[in-house]
Amino acid sequence: MINAQNIEKTVATSEGSLCILKGIDLEIKQGETLAIVGSSGSGKSTLLGLLAGLDVPGKGSITLAGRDITSLTEDERATVRADLVGFVFQSFQLLPSLTALENVMLPAELKGVAGARGLAEKYLQRVGLDHRFNHYPKQLSGGEQQRVALARAFASQPHILFADEPTGNLDTATGTQVIDLLFELNREEGATLVLVTHEQRLADRCQRSIQLEGGEIVADKRNKPSVVVSASGQN
Amino acid sequence: MFALRLLWRDWRGGELGILASSIVLAVAIVTGISLFADRLQQGIVAQSSSFLAADRVLQSPAPVDNLWLQQAEREGLQQAEILSFQSMVYAGEEVDATMQLTSVKAVSNHYPLRGQLEVSDEAFGSSIKTTASPPRGEVWLDPRLLPLMNLEIGDALYVGEAKLLISKVVVNEPDRGGNGFVLGARVLMNIADIPATDIVQPGSLVEYRYLFAGEADALSRYGEWVKGQMQPSHKWLNLKDTQPGISQSLQRAEQFLLLAGALGVGLAGIAIALAARRYSERHYDYVAIMKSLGATSARVMRIYIGNLLLLATIALLVGCAFGWLIQEMFILILQDYFDVTSTPEITLRPFIIGSVTALVCLLAFALPPLLSLQGTSPLRVLRRDLPNSGLGNVLTYGIGVSGIGLLMFWYSGNLTLTMAVLAGVGLTFVIVGVFAWYLLRGTARVGMQAGSSWRLALASMRRRGFQNAVQSVIFSLAIMLLLLLALIRSSLIEEWQVQLPEGTPNHFLVNVAKHEVTSLRTLLATNQLETEPIYPMVRGRLTRVNDETVAKRASRTDPTAQNSLDRELSLSWSKTLPNDNIIVEGEWWSEGSTAAEVSMEKNLAQRLQINTGDKMEFLIGSERLVVTVTSIRELDWDTMKPNFYMLFPPGLLNQYPATYMTSFYLPSGQKHFLNQFLREFPTITVIEMDSVIKQIRSIITQVSSAVELVLGLIIVSGLLVLIASVQASLDSRYQESAVLRTLGAKRELVLGSLVIEFSSLGLLAGFLAAFSAELSVYGLQEYLLRMDYVFHPWVWLVGPLFGAILIGIAGYVTCRKVVNTPPVEVLREI
Repeated sequence: MINAQNIEKTVATSEGSLCILKGIDLEIKQGETLAIVGSSGSGKSTLLGLLAGLDVPGKGSITLAGRDITSLTEDERATVRADLVGFVFQSFQLLPSLTALENVMLPAELKGVAGARGLAEKYLQRVGLDHRFNHYPKQLSGGEQQRVALARAFASQPHILFADEPTGNLDTATGTQVIDLLFELNREEGATLVLVTHEQRLADRCQRSIQLEGGEIVADKRNKPSVVVSASGQN
Repeated sequence: MFALRLLWRDWRGGELGILASSIVLAVAIVTGISLFADRLQQGIVAQSSSFLAADRVLQSPAPVDNLWLQQAEREGLQQAEILSFQSMVYAGEEVDATMQLTSVKAVSNHYPLRGQLEVSDEAFGSSIKTTASPPRGEVWLDPRLLPLMNLEIGDALYVGEAKLLISKVVVNEPDRGGNGFVLGARVLMNIADIPATDIVQPGSLVEYRYLFAGEADALSRYGEWVKGQMQPSHKWLNLKDTQPGISQSLQRAEQFLLLAGALGVGLAGIAIALAARRYSERHYDYVAIMKSLGATSARVMRIYIGNLLLLATIALLVGCAFGWLIQEMFILILQDYFDVTSTPEITLRPFIIGSVTALVCLLAFALPPLLSLQGTSPLRVLRRDLPNSGLGNVLTYGIGVSGIGLLMFWYSGNLTLTMAVLAGVGLTFVIVGVFAWYLLRGTARVGMQAGSSWRLALASMRRRGFQNAVQSVIFSLAIMLLLLLALIRSSLIEEWQVQLPEGTPNHFLVNVAKHEVTSLRTLLATNQLETEPIYPMVRGRLTRVNDETVAKRASRTDPTAQNSLDRELSLSWSKTLPNDNIIVEGEWWSEGSTAAEVSMEKNLAQRLQINTGDKMEFLIGSERLVVTVTSIRELDWDTMKPNFYMLFPPGLLNQYPATYMTSFYLPSGQKHFLNQFLREFPTITVIEMDSVIKQIRSIITQVSSAVELVLGLIIVSGLLVLIASVQASLDSRYQESAVLRTLGAKRELVLGSLVIEFSSLGLLAGFLAAFSAELSVYGLQEYLLRMDYVFHPWVWLVGPLFGAILIGIAGYVTCRKVVNTPPVEVLREI
């Protein structure tokens, strides 16, 4: 589903250029759940951004469902994202001027899909927020906001779901609830899940986890396949 | 549909308030001012034209060729005719018949083409306005003629051989002033009765005036044609020729309105730019999220431009409606001065101007910040600190300034004005920006020794040094433009009022014999009438300048001067320089001078290219007098005081027969004094200018009120800019205030520091604005409005004070919610 080969990412800083990722090779199968772990500054989020097509590497290539996204323009990558990708962010990234329902409707509206409202209502109900349709993000708790974000991510019916520290802004109990929901939904929808986290217990729930240090993969291990859904193979 | 939904969601979220109100205001100001200026101009043109009772007048000493009138008819012009002359009129039967020298005006049926006659059914009774003129066989009289000749309405009056029925009194004629001096009481009759009077014979001293009214194009075409046919004795008159003072005042008022309108648009433009910038800054995250969800740049732009167009359309409609209301409000306030009987034509032009303004404002001010949204990286969803690669500041400001320039030029049609304002704005930007930047950096050292609120405020000012410098520039610009308008407005209105102050002489007395001077002075003094000095007057003709005849010299230097010199001039003498006269060349004579010298009026001297030292020869009666020009005087002919082209030292003209003249102010309630006066001095001629002065005053009052109202409107846009500018810094203030309060800062401390910060910025901006305004007003008055510049100390007090108080209040009101929002709510949103 995702194939990254020899990707490098360098950014310019005031003290010269800084290499964030060094020659990463990674293949993620369809339906696989993968956790990217590592300490702060190890390049986790940068790698996620590259894999999701939000950014392009300085070197190397990435293919997403068979399409080489490194040779695409930003707009072409946007189209790929619209077709394939869903996101869940640490800071929720809900639009403050939109209600919960409108936030969930947004991806479908952008795609021009008919019945965006019905779809959004269905997913909000699924995440247990059927009583919060017309609430604005600031009227919701952190856990509720992340559940809206989950509903939004799955409402676009993605093939691949990218999650960046989805529990980073939540307390442990709420975080656990959100993660349960995330894995449940992922199982139902059969999406490939790529998750950035620094929480080991979260990483353990994925079929596979890779560890980054100093921009390199230092470990790649397979966990107990407790939540495998439709894994067609192992690395 | 999606764009509409997004627009609605943004509106609901309060994101669009300032942007929408800025666009509405820009459209409303322009539409309102254009509508009003249109109506004002129509009103003023109508009122001005009434000074002539027509749009144009052809003046002639004899009937003109019928072909001329046929040509006017072909051009579709309305026409009327006036024949005026002095004549004795008689009343009563032979034994107790009375007679009086009057000024007869015979008019055709369509007179007046512009303006109205004011008539009454009784002498000194209440009057009504009418556009009708006396029918055949009837005559309308000056009210004071009735008691003077023991007449009543319904009696008969003889004009020459014609017996006419007195059917009304005529209180005022629109063209009384434009018709030259009115000597004696008015008798208004129908021109068809003239043959029956048997007065007008070939060679009679009469004046024909042919009145024309119609479309501007047709008038100017006909004007060109008729000028080709005219003899030197003919005159083609418009308002400028008859009332240069009014014409100039109106021109200045129009320029002021245009300038104000252009500045209003500029201010609204700044408000739009600020609001759009804030809007787009707040939408960087939106766009990043939309892009991460798969929206392409083109899609994002389609959404936002669609949004903007929708907003513009709505704002345009609302703005036009407000513009209409503003104009109606203007008219309501000014209805006393407007001719309510004529409804001015409402054209689409002001609305089109308003719409184009909105479009240009959007393109120049709102689009650049929105375009920068396109460059937002979707990676921002992961890294919020990612800078936005939008259009550069220079390009953004450049587009904005070009937009203002384009609008100003289009709106004012005056390149000099546009360039002057743009240069002023540009200079203010640079000078004020640099100055503010250095001053704000300096606050850090002061801050260390200050109390807590002050320390916080000064630290905040320094930290946001660049933004604050930009904000100071915007505050300064707004205050400067307001001060500038206030300054120009004051000088305009003051100048108009100085021109014709209360108590301006409104009656001229001429033909006063030498033996009447003392008793005249006594009569005027006992009636407590303000009187100008009594000047002697000797009639003489200027014949030669140096060794050249005047006719020859005039044809060489200024052919148009020939007419005015081909008649006798009033020569007078004075020991001292008259009050309002200023010597511009040479020197006034020393007391007791017996030299053959003369002081000449500047314009005439320029037209004949005469300088001090030149010799002039006058023909007085049959005697020749040669004098040397020793001084040249500048004077204002519009002051309604006696003024002379030529002034001689006392004694030089003693041997020639002189009459005397003066002018005095007669309050309207004492008009009957004229009857007593004329009974005592039947040979003195009274020239009544009171109705002319009344008309000029009414126009000046009307235009002054308009100017005041426009200024008020511009102040509103200035305030909007201030609010938009304060709002622009609101987001970061929310965050800071939340952090400070979380750390235990009291609400008063945070609020206090905000008020201090804004007031200090306001004080600084006000001071810098006073400087720029003083500089700009100097430039504008000196080069555009051609008025004398005076220093304005009050500006230096009002500017900073106004800035500190207003911006302090704006800051307080806008930022109050910053401290009223619970910190947790703010922090949760970050």
